[in-house]
Amino acid sequence: MRRRSLSWIAGVVAVGTVLWLAPSSLFGQEPPAQPGGPGGREGRGGERGGRAGFGGRRGRAPLPPAGPVKRMADGKPDMQGYWNATNNGGAVFEVQKHPRRLQSLPAGEGAIVDPPDGLIPYTPEYAAKAKENFEKHLADEPELHCYESGLPNQMYRQFGFQILQPPGYVVMNWEFMHAYRIIPTDNRPHTVPASTKLFMGDSVGHWEGDTLVVDTTNLNDRTWLDSAGNAHSDQMHVIERITPTDERTIKYEATIEDPKAYTKPWKVAFEFSRNMQPGYETMEFACIEGNQDVHHYTPDEGGSAKEEKKK
Amino acid sequence: MINRWTASMRTAVCVAALVCVGAAPALAQSKGYTAPRTPDGHADLQGIWEIQKSPDKDLDGSKLIVDPSNHKIPYKSEALGQKKDNAKNSVANDPLNKCYMPGVPRINLLSYPFQIFQTPDYVAIAYEYIHNYRTVYMKRDKHLPDIDFWQGDSIGHWDGDTLVVDVGDFNDQTWLDKAGDYHSDQMHVVERYTRTGPDTLQYEATIEDPKVFASPWKIRAELKRDTKPNARLLEYECQYLADEAAKKQGK
Repeated sequence: MRRRSLSWIAGVVAVGTVLWLAPSSLFGQEPPAQPGGPGGREGRGGERGGRAGFGGRRGRAPLPPAGPVKRMADGKPDMQGYWNATNNGGAVFEVQKHPRRLQSLPAGEGAIVDPPDGLIPYTPEYAAKAKENFEKHLADEPELHCYESGLPNQMYRQFGFQILQPPGYVVMNWEFMHAYRIIPTDNRPHTVPASTKLFMGDSVGHWEGDTLVVDTTNLNDRTWLDSAGNAHSDQMHVIERITPTDERTIKYEATIEDPKAYTKPWKVAFEFSRNMQPGYETMEFACIEGNQDVHHYTPDEGGSAKEEKKK
Repeated sequence: MINRWTASMRTAVCVAALVCVGAAPALAQSKGYTAPRTPDGHADLQGIWEIQKSPDKDLDGSKLIVDPSNHKIPYKSEALGQKKDNAKNSVANDPLNKCYMPGVPRINLLSYPFQIFQTPDYVAIAYEYIHNYRTVYMKRDKHLPDIDFWQGDSIGHWDGDTLVVDVGDFNDQTWLDKAGDYHSDQMHVVERYTRTGPDTLQYEATIEDPKVFASPWKIRAELKRDTKPNARLLEYECQYLADEAAKKQGK
């Protein structure tokens, strides 16, 4: 019997089904050969190993010490390969420091390093918007509708991404939503008109030593910062600094400013770890094709969550 | 594998030998143009490409079908019933109208640009249409077992300056055009990408499907480069547009 491709039942994307497993300090090493990740996905077993999902290492020998950053022929860092976001305190659930919020969003430190309290410095209008988003997140999360995640959200989405470095570009291809980013590295200006708003924005990049600096504008306001509904406007401007530090680690920082949504710029920082699984390939992500039940989404958590709310 | 016999070298040898006049060199499809090289020595096909006149309304009978010479898709007679059924309810049933992935070669023939990127082990093709991308695996020579994909599984190799992409592992869910031309999960497509000039790319696809077509058939199209400075793909977000339209109608 032929297995179906990964027709993603979008309801499963509701992060309530995700088990956030091992401490992220273990994550960056060789992923365990276990099938699946969040419920509903088909893994690949046997000789091709399991998926790099959320799980950490389990009882495996540590990898040898990482070698130096790999190099392209022109001396720039060679970051090509498959990477997974790690050490971000559950940013995919909520990017700021957060307690457990109902059933689907576990507690976490988030990924914000500035301001030091780890919280988004909202304007009152956008604090209200975030609250409104949260209350409807089970129905309204953009990813449930198979939209791309924008920035910095796409960077900590599950299932990892592939980096390619063809001449003049850094290309990032995610399994999730088959999203991609195409970042020219020739320090070109933004030329997309201000009125053109894109889910993934307009990114222009250049190298500063071993750091890829990426400036992104023209983001639309149809994405959230995380599954909890943290919000931004279409005035958001993101400056990322992407620095490989050894052959298996990339440090990621993003400064986010948005005069409508935030009273001052704020900054996230976390890492990517190289997926060491031999023969690993990104799988197809058929989100809309598998999305058979959108019309039944409601914001209501139902069941035992209702009981919990009553307490 | 790098083929160091470029078209110009072959022509020079033929002219010198005075024996090749009238003989078509194996790389004739590049029409005497030699593409620049990528760092690893292959023809550089990179850039943003788009078909100028999409056949998507109805591929069957389009002049883009160069084989057979009558330009008709050679359906098996028992497969024609499904084509007729598809055509009857084509607007409702076209997977594109549900914002589903278009499949191959349809995605290359839509009126939306795509961008080719080349590295030694992977060729990536990024599409403006629903932000889809295809990864062509240059170092794998067999299709994946026991799995199927909307966009198929693409494995590639070089035939001189032509990128040959073998696409298998299709599901049976996509159409070939708006008119209901279709295929089964036995479809197999071999694409050939050849740069014919600074701003032109020849795209050929041979399509076979033993369940639906009586014989393989072939399309050939010329794609043009977007030569605007700082050209980039934009976004066509089908689902988002459909949701916004539904909201306006109060659904």
